[in-house]
Amino acid sequence: MKYIRKKINLENFTIRTIPKSVLIKNSEGKTVIDENNPKYYYGRIPEYKIDNEGNFLLNSFGQKIRNTINIDLYLTHKFDDMGIFSDNPYTPKTDTLTTKPQGFNSFTYGRLAGAPVNFYYTSPNSVSGYTDDGLLQQVKSYRKDVNGDDVYVPNLNTSDNTSNVFSGVLSEDNEKTIYKIGANINDINNSGINYTTFKNKFTKTKDEYGFDRSYKTTIFSVDNSGWNETNVSLSASTKKEEYLGVVFKPEVDSAVFINRGIADIFERHALLSEIKTTNDIDTNRGGFIRI
Amino acid sequence: MATGNYGTIRPADVSIDDVEIYYSYTPNRESITNVELFPLDPAEVLIPANNPDNVTEIFGGLYTLKLPTSVFGTKGFYNIIIRPKQIRTTIQDCSVLVDNQDVKGIVFDINQIPIDLQNRFENGNLVGYRVEYLKEQLGTGQDKIQNLFRIITSNNRSLPITQNQGNSNASVAYTFNDNSTSVFCTVSPSSAPAIKPNAIPFIGNPQQNVIITNTFFDPVMLEIEMVEFDDETLAYALFSNQTKSLEDGIYTIYNFGNQIYRQYNLYEVKDQFTGKPLFEVREQKFTIDPTKDFDEITDF
Repeated sequence: MKYIRKKINLENFTIRTIPKSVLIKNSEGKTVIDENNPKYYYGRIPEYKIDNEGNFLLNSFGQKIRNTINIDLYLTHKFDDMGIFSDNPYTPKTDTLTTKPQGFNSFTYGRLAGAPVNFYYTSPNSVSGYTDDGLLQQVKSYRKDVNGDDVYVPNLNTSDNTSNVFSGVLSEDNEKTIYKIGANINDINNSGINYTTFKNKFTKTKDEYGFDRSYKTTIFSVDNSGWNETNVSLSASTKKEEYLGVVFKPEVDSAVFINRGIADIFERHALLSEIKTTNDIDTNRGGFIRI
Repeated sequence: MATGNYGTIRPADVSIDDVEIYYSYTPNRESITNVELFPLDPAEVLIPANNPDNVTEIFGGLYTLKLPTSVFGTKGFYNIIIRPKQIRTTIQDCSVLVDNQDVKGIVFDINQIPIDLQNRFENGNLVGYRVEYLKEQLGTGQDKIQNLFRIITSNNRSLPITQNQGNSNASVAYTFNDNSTSVFCTVSPSSAPAIKPNAIPFIGNPQQNVIITNTFFDPVMLEIEMVEFDDETLAYALFSNQTKSLEDGIYTIYNFGNQIYRQYNLYEVKDQFTGKPLFEVREQKFTIDPTKDFDEITDF
């Protein structure tokens, strides 16, 4: 329920004109108002709109126009959070389809009755492109050669979590350095991001301030397993009444936020408006809220 | 598992036919009488704005409330409530679907609904409507069951089917049929929570009176204080034109359009025996002297 308060001055609707037609001479010869004249409205608010002579204004249909006090409103429709979906088992349609319809794309087609889960699988693929050599620093050893240049040691794991993650050089020659970032320690060849930084090829570009910038040309590539039995399943998506209104807000893991400080009187209220669950107290702004 | 969908606030594009408006009036804030509400016809007082790019399309959100001066022309406080239209009817039956015995619902008879509102009861049109319940024994105090409501999640014309339950017992269940005049509505909540499977929520009883309300917009309450003075009228006294008739002592204040706003008689009260002046008086004059027209006085 929205509550609106308004103050309206009736004087804006009160007639202050005195038409000549309502003026008469009294017995003393003095000009006075004939208050019984139907065109006399001085000091009153007429039910219908009138002109300065006290005549009714008419619309295009010849009808009198009702005198109204107009107030503009903005009506809204609040649509509340409807609650989380729950995955429910379902009985699949029999006569399971054996071939995909022509042009079937699981992302645009959505659910297709009778389609088995493997219709939604996609082939492994690889993504590659060019980048800068900024990550090369992460895989260098602590040693330097006689020229003072960094030494890259193949198979030296430089990650912070050496028992699970491999980040390091795979091979190096006079032309290039090949290295991995974030690979599974047990499957280095098929996981993580593969980088190849060329020693004698450079890429020139301009930074955000317009200054020239140059770095060793680097190619990255990463293999994607696609959608398969490990990450796709089919289930009925339903909403349980007991979860009505229970939702999780989108969680943004941001490393940087701006504290507007106590100088802004709205800051503390704005912060609280972002808190809807007790879980938010722990996670909001990376744990910024403290009790 | 998907995490769910999120709410929003959108401009309402509700039809005037789905709105009802009430108002109350009190001359001051100290009134000791109960609030008495009077209806207003939304078709006469609420006008939706049209999209300037397409005049046959509602703009959305923006409505103009045109309050008739014949009703709202008195100094005091008016409370105006604009809320979704209510439909009052009786539950014909509470039952289940023949093919889905675990789907419970309430049944309405379309013929009991006023003709101009019957289209709301066509298949799917009641989704999102709110059902509130009246007590089965009316006139025993508060007739409405307070703080209880259900939301309609589906409605379809349905035909009652008598089912043999054995032992000479029979029950009625419903099957969808567009030729029927009964409407089967599922409501939420109507299923028991997982933690207490037998605690089935109340959805109503046959012959119980209910109030069905659309949820097309959020209700609005306006408190309008009608006043006789504001900054503008006070400025008349300070800055607008004035005349004082030396012949008859009529003091006239004009508004900024040079129309007579107030007139006063100026005179002195003297001792009747000595003639000694006692008071200078300014007394408001309610019979306006039209010869004090400012434009005529200053037209020389």
